[in-house]
Amino acid sequence: MISVEPMLLVQNIVNGVFMGLIYSLVALGLALIFGVMDIINFAHGDFVMIGAYLTFLLATTLLVDPTLTAFITMPLFFVIGVAVYKGIIERVLGAEPLIQIAVTVGLLMVLRNLALMIFKAEPRGVPFTVFGFPINVGPITIAASRLVAGIVSLVALFLVHMLLTRTKWGIAMRATADDREVAELMGINVKKVYAVTFGLGISLTALAAALIMTFSRADPYLGLLYGLLSWVIVAMGGLGGVIGVLASGLIIGVIEAIGISVVSAGARELFIYLTFFLILWFRPRGLFGRR
Amino acid sequence: MPAILNLGISKTASIAIAIIVIVIIIGIAAYYATQQPAAPTTPTSPSPTTSPSPTPTKPKITEIKIGLIEPLTGTHAVFGQEAKQAAELIIDIINNELGGIKNLGGAKLKLVVADAGETPESAKLAAEKLIAEEHPPIILGAYISRLTAAVAEVTEREKVILIMDGLVDSLTEQGWKYVFRAAPKASAHGKSAVEFVMEMAKKKGLEIKTAVVMNEDSIFGHYVAQGAILKLKEYGVKILDHIEYPYDIADATPLVSKLKELNPDIVISVPYFHDAVLIAKTIKAMGFHPMFIAGAGACGYTDPESIKAAGEAVEWYTNTYSYNPARPTEWNKKIVEEFKKRYGKLPTEAAGIVFYSLMVVKEALEKAAEMYPDDPLNPDHLREAFLALDLNDNNSIAAQLYPTGRIKFAPNGDNLYAGTAIIQVINGEPHVVWPDPEPGIEPVFPRPDWKGGG
Amino acid sequence: MAKPNKILGIPRRNFYGIIVFALILSTVPALLRFNTYYVYLATDIILIASLVAAWNIIGGYAGQLDLAASAYMALGAVVTGNLLAFYGLTPWLGIPIGVLIALGVAVAVGYPTFRFGIKEVWYALLTAALVVILSRIYWLIYGSTETYLPTYEWSWFYLRFNRYEPFYYMLVVMLAIVLWINYRIRHSKLGYYLNAIREDELAAEALGIDVRRYKLYALMIYATLASIIGGIYVCITGVVGYRNFDPWLGITTAVMGIVGGLGSVEGAVMSGMILRTLEDYLRGTIGSQYPGSHLLVYGIILIVVGVLKPEGLASLIEYVKKRIPWLKS
Repeated sequence: MISVEPMLLVQNIVNGVFMGLIYSLVALGLALIFGVMDIINFAHGDFVMIGAYLTFLLATTLLVDPTLTAFITMPLFFVIGVAVYKGIIERVLGAEPLIQIAVTVGLLMVLRNLALMIFKAEPRGVPFTVFGFPINVGPITIAASRLVAGIVSLVALFLVHMLLTRTKWGIAMRATADDREVAELMGINVKKVYAVTFGLGISLTALAAALIMTFSRADPYLGLLYGLLSWVIVAMGGLGGVIGVLASGLIIGVIEAIGISVVSAGARELFIYLTFFLILWFRPRGLFGRR
Repeated sequence: MPAILNLGISKTASIAIAIIVIVIIIGIAAYYATQQPAAPTTPTSPSPTTSPSPTPTKPKITEIKIGLIEPLTGTHAVFGQEAKQAAELIIDIINNELGGIKNLGGAKLKLVVADAGETPESAKLAAEKLIAEEHPPIILGAYISRLTAAVAEVTEREKVILIMDGLVDSLTEQGWKYVFRAAPKASAHGKSAVEFVMEMAKKKGLEIKTAVVMNEDSIFGHYVAQGAILKLKEYGVKILDHIEYPYDIADATPLVSKLKELNPDIVISVPYFHDAVLIAKTIKAMGFHPMFIAGAGACGYTDPESIKAAGEAVEWYTNTYSYNPARPTEWNKKIVEEFKKRYGKLPTEAAGIVFYSLMVVKEALEKAAEMYPDDPLNPDHLREAFLALDLNDNNSIAAQLYPTGRIKFAPNGDNLYAGTAIIQVINGEPHVVWPDPEPGIEPVFPRPDWKGGG
Repeated sequence: MAKPNKILGIPRRNFYGIIVFALILSTVPALLRFNTYYVYLATDIILIASLVAAWNIIGGYAGQLDLAASAYMALGAVVTGNLLAFYGLTPWLGIPIGVLIALGVAVAVGYPTFRFGIKEVWYALLTAALVVILSRIYWLIYGSTETYLPTYEWSWFYLRFNRYEPFYYMLVVMLAIVLWINYRIRHSKLGYYLNAIREDELAAEALGIDVRRYKLYALMIYATLASIIGGIYVCITGVVGYRNFDPWLGITTAVMGIVGGLGSVEGAVMSGMILRTLEDYLRGTIGSQYPGSHLLVYGIILIVVGVLKPEGLASLIEYVKKRIPWLKS
């Protein structure tokens, strides 16, 4: 365990980069919600979990590749996101952080246990994907599913970046994030911006879930895995926009890979959270600063 | 009540309340001291449904409660739910088809169920509740080892027989007196997996030089892996690495990359369900082709749900089971059929252990009635009855349901003739391939996609 | 905020309140007819109530959303448990050692955290991560093996009993002590400073309050109490392992404190007792038919309380106080 095969390390790091891209995609939704609305959402990971189950249901009933289900789940999750915003989140806007956390922890418990009631604890996976083959690049092997997931994540991140910087909606979002009152004076319908932001943030988790299902499985406890991780990435990215989230996701993916290679698979969380501690202590505004 | 706290209670009022409370305590204590002096301090030996009669003559037993404590909620609910279904089925069969406990005048069994939850604390709570409210003389539980240990602490104290379906070795090494385990313990699973692979290799004239053992990091996975490692060393196979990982890993690629790098002849893998799906899919996606991948520990790879979730990625995987659903005995066929009819699925590990464990309970009750007709349900008498059992295919239903066909308990509570069956996924269907293969089924060995060891 | 005569540093009325509350609680086992199951349940509820009351010091008074209650509790538990299991050391010594280690961790984490001004959501996440980190470190050292404590019929020396009444009364005393410390803090300089920090940290700093120091004091007191509770807890359950570090318990504790109403120790104790009772009740009733349904209901309650009554149960107490004139002091 002490000596590390250099090839294995490289292999793991390459894989870590692809995982990092997916992590970035999951965290992007959270970063949007937190950045624009200042809402602390502890249930973010559990939306990924629900998305994974939906992907499973759709892919196995329609007999299509899990990646294609995103065309259905993303709009659906947008609607769900807006509904959750209207029903719950809107009422705790501007409340004490503790109240927001309590409410979203409540939401987390509802989502997770709903999944447990409906699907029991059995893991569900989509037993087919067209991307289930390896791609060999010299001595490095990349699973095709991972490559596709990474590329799609990257494209999605780019599109969100364009949305934020080039469209009317994006500019409204950023204005609201900077100063809500000024935005309101400028005639921006803040409530509407918030609803759209929350919906968009949630629908991104559906895309991530569809990608994750090409190589992984759905179970009720998946939320915990992605929830805390997303927050670590948001902490790291500061509110440095899409680029910050992308860079942080990649760093986390690589740190995780190194941790696994050098110590053991059980130590990956240790490495991620120790990094989190160090970032918070020494770079409390994140690695990439505020916008 | 805490509202009182921040109200200013005047001194006199609080003294008055204090006096009242103390009087209540003394009053209740005095009441109990005079009424039933033994009740609060010594746990009485459980005598189910028999009203305490003043005469020492034997009370007529018409119903015996059998406790079932399983994780019905939480991460492990998948096992608990199936165990509960199996227990309901077997109790029905015992009561209706077998006419109850014959030596006790056809006394019926009644299943009383409690949810062990996810933590030792909740398991203990369930045990306390079940014993306090129902007084079952025998309890079956709790599948997950740390839950079983928590339950055992209560059953030992209350002198209730615990039939354990938790498999971790250490459960029978605690010096507990009232525990029995018919099922094969964890390390036996690891050993069986290795024995199967070595036997197959010998048959096909292949040599196995190197192996990697990997397990999810629960205490159960750890013991299974230790069993496999011991056996591998016995055979002189070089163990290139022993990898432990948390079962809820998000990504198995680093594990599989390591396997590829080490390139062992065989992999002995002890997964839980979630990671099994992940590992199998990743092995396929990464193109890793060893001579054989053998699962151990009865979770993942070969159960119907895993096959459904992982598809062709788990083709040719094997796993070890404490129960053989294909064992060609009269009663085994019948019970599998009934289970399928009632629940629409094949019984797996959790159900199988309950099948034979409950049938063993029946045999023990018959035996106890024979040995101690005056007080068959006394815990010490029950213990003697369990130890006196020597079951085989011809004298019992229980043994017909057991992979090795023999059950006899050692003083520590383990079955002396414990053994597992091995199931392999062939063409997307689970088939028993070892020790007695299903009719018309040949184990697939080595893996057809193996690159010839080159 | 006048200065009436005090007993043990807290106002008379609070002192009598604690005594009366403890006396009422001490009748409970008798009312439960010493039924093992119900007494265990009551013990569990008092344990959680004590933990939530201890959390109130950091969460309610200092306003820091700490999710690491289970980390400090587990440190107390694993140190006490392992010392007893491997060296036969009595918990009476094991618990103080556990407290020292928990204090060490609290300072090691708390000092830089407060020094670098980490608060609100980041403090919450950091403490949640702390539980996971400790759990993984314990796992790397001890592996997944679980240790069982030796059993004794009735031993005050080893704190192992075959009944729960001793634990119940120990925890009632513990709860009384935690309540006393809460009141003591509230009516001390530390309490006023913490209150100022909670209301407005920048303003407090401007007034010359050493914000970091007082937050650290609150954290240390809380960590001490939580680790003592953990030491008692391990003697009740008798199992030591990495799963003692349960992130979920840390979150639940904070949630109970929030539902109780921040800064109100009465509300915290009450919500701890009510929610835990409800959880156990639901688990026993609908929980066995629909897995997870009891936690689902729990989640719904959280959302409803958060959305409709963010002041928590404490406001309910105020309401009752206003409506029932003879309860007014």
